[in-house]
Amino acid sequence: MMLKLRQRLYDELNLKKQAADLGISVWQTPSFLFIVMGVIIISAMSGIYIVSTNYDSPEIVVISESLVVILLLTVGNSIIRTVEEVAKSNKMKSEFVSIASHQLKTPISEMKWQIELLLSKFTDGLSEKQLEIISEVSHSGEKMGRLINDLLDVARIDQGQLALINEEMNFCTMVDSAVMAQQSLAKASNVELIVTCNLKKLEVVVDRRRIAVVLDNLITNAIKYTDGKGKVEVIVEEADGFAQFCIRDNGVGIPRNEQSSLCQKFFRSNNSIKNETDGTGLGLYIAKNIVEQSGGKLWFKSIENVGSEFYFSLPLMTDEKKGLGILK
Amino acid sequence: MLKCRQDLHLLHQISMADKKLLIIEDDLVLQKALSEYLIAEGFNVLSAGDGETGVQMALGELPDLILLDIVLPKKDGYTVLTEVRANEATKHVPIVLLTNLGSISDVEKAIELGATTYLVKADYKLEEVMMKVKEILNIK
Repeated sequence: MMLKLRQRLYDELNLKKQAADLGISVWQTPSFLFIVMGVIIISAMSGIYIVSTNYDSPEIVVISESLVVILLLTVGNSIIRTVEEVAKSNKMKSEFVSIASHQLKTPISEMKWQIELLLSKFTDGLSEKQLEIISEVSHSGEKMGRLINDLLDVARIDQGQLALINEEMNFCTMVDSAVMAQQSLAKASNVELIVTCNLKKLEVVVDRRRIAVVLDNLITNAIKYTDGKGKVEVIVEEADGFAQFCIRDNGVGIPRNEQSSLCQKFFRSNNSIKNETDGTGLGLYIAKNIVEQSGGKLWFKSIENVGSEFYFSLPLMTDEKKGLGILK
Repeated sequence: MLKCRQDLHLLHQISMADKKLLIIEDDLVLQKALSEYLIAEGFNVLSAGDGETGVQMALGELPDLILLDIVLPKKDGYTVLTEVRANEATKHVPIVLLTNLGSISDVEKAIELGATTYLVKADYKLEEVMMKVKEILNIK
C-alpha cells in the first residue's frame, strides 16, 4: 500500500518522466528547480550579508541584490516553461486520442452495422458459401475493433479518462453469459469449462460492457493457457461486501520471475510466446484498471506447470448507489 | 395458437409503428444502416444529416426518441441537446447519444446537458441499440 502510494506520488511529481513519455525534453523537473531556487536564495542572502558587512558601499549591495533577482527570475521562468510544455503536450495527446478514437472507430462501426444489417435482414438469395465469407469478414472486423478499443483504452487509462457508464447488474447473470459465450472456444480447445455459483443474485453497480471485457479476458486466457484435456473452473462467491470472481485452471502457469510484471501494459509472458498464443499484452492491464476503477481489485496466484487462479472483486450494491447512469 | 402468435406479432409491430424515432447522424452509411434496421423492426424513422436540420425536425415532428451523434456539421450534438432540452415541447423527449467519442469528459458533458444515455457506436450492435430504444420507450 505504502509502496503504491510512493510510486503514485513519484509519478505525479516527476514531470520530467511525464515529459519524456510525451516525447518532449525538459531540462529539469520543477521540484528539482524549486530546490535549486531555495539553495540560490540561501546562498544569495549569505553573499549579500557578507558583502554588506565587508564593503561599506551601497552600490555593491544593490548590484549583488540585482544579480540575485535576475538568477531567481531565470530559474522561475524555467519552472513555468517546463510546466507549460508538459501541460501543452498532455493536451495534444488527449486531443489526439479523441480524434483517433472518432476517426478509427467510425469505419469500424460502418462495417459492423452494414454486415449486421445484411446478415439479419437481407440474407435472401445469398449462398451458404457467401454467408460463410461474410461471417469471416465480420469476425476480422470485430478483431480489428477490439484491438483499436484496447489501444484507445490504454491511452485513456493513462490519462485518467476511461469512462464507466454504470448500471445495476446481477453479477451472477453476467458471469453466466460470459461463460456461455466462451463454451465453443473451450470445446474447440478440448477444455472443460464449468461454473460454480450457489447464489442467484449478487447486485453490483458496474459498467456492463467493461466488466464483460474483464470476464472475457480472464476466461479466454484460462482456456488459451490450458494445454488441451484441461479443466477451467469459474467460482462466484460473496465475500465481505464484495462479489468475488475466481477462475482456476490447470494450465501452463506463470513463471515466478514474471509474475510481478504480468499486469503491466504490453507485457507478454514467455509461456504465451512459447505456446504461440496471440495477444497484445494489454488485456490484463486494462482488466486490472477497469476493476480498480469500479472499486474492486484484481489479483492472482500461479505455479508454473501446475496452473493459475485469477480473482477479482466488485463492491456489492448499497442503497446510495441505486439509480441508473452513474458515471465514474 | 399460431393465429394468436401472429396477432401478438402484429400488435407488437403496430405499437412500434406508433413510435417515431429521429436519427441525427451525418455519416450516411451509419444513418442508413441504423434507419433501415429500425424500419425493418417496425419503427417509424426520420433522419437528419446535420445538427441544424436535426433541431428543426425535433421541434416540428416531436419524435418519441432521438438518436443523436455528437460530431455534426452546422450544430454539434451538445448544441442540439441543449436546444431540444430548452424547448417546452421537447424537453422530456429521451435522447440517446450515439457517438464514437467516449472519454469521461464527453460522457459527463452529455449527461450534464440531459442525455438519457450514452452509447459508443463501435461497441454496440444494431440489435443492442434497438434493445436500448425499446427499453427506454418501455416496449416489451
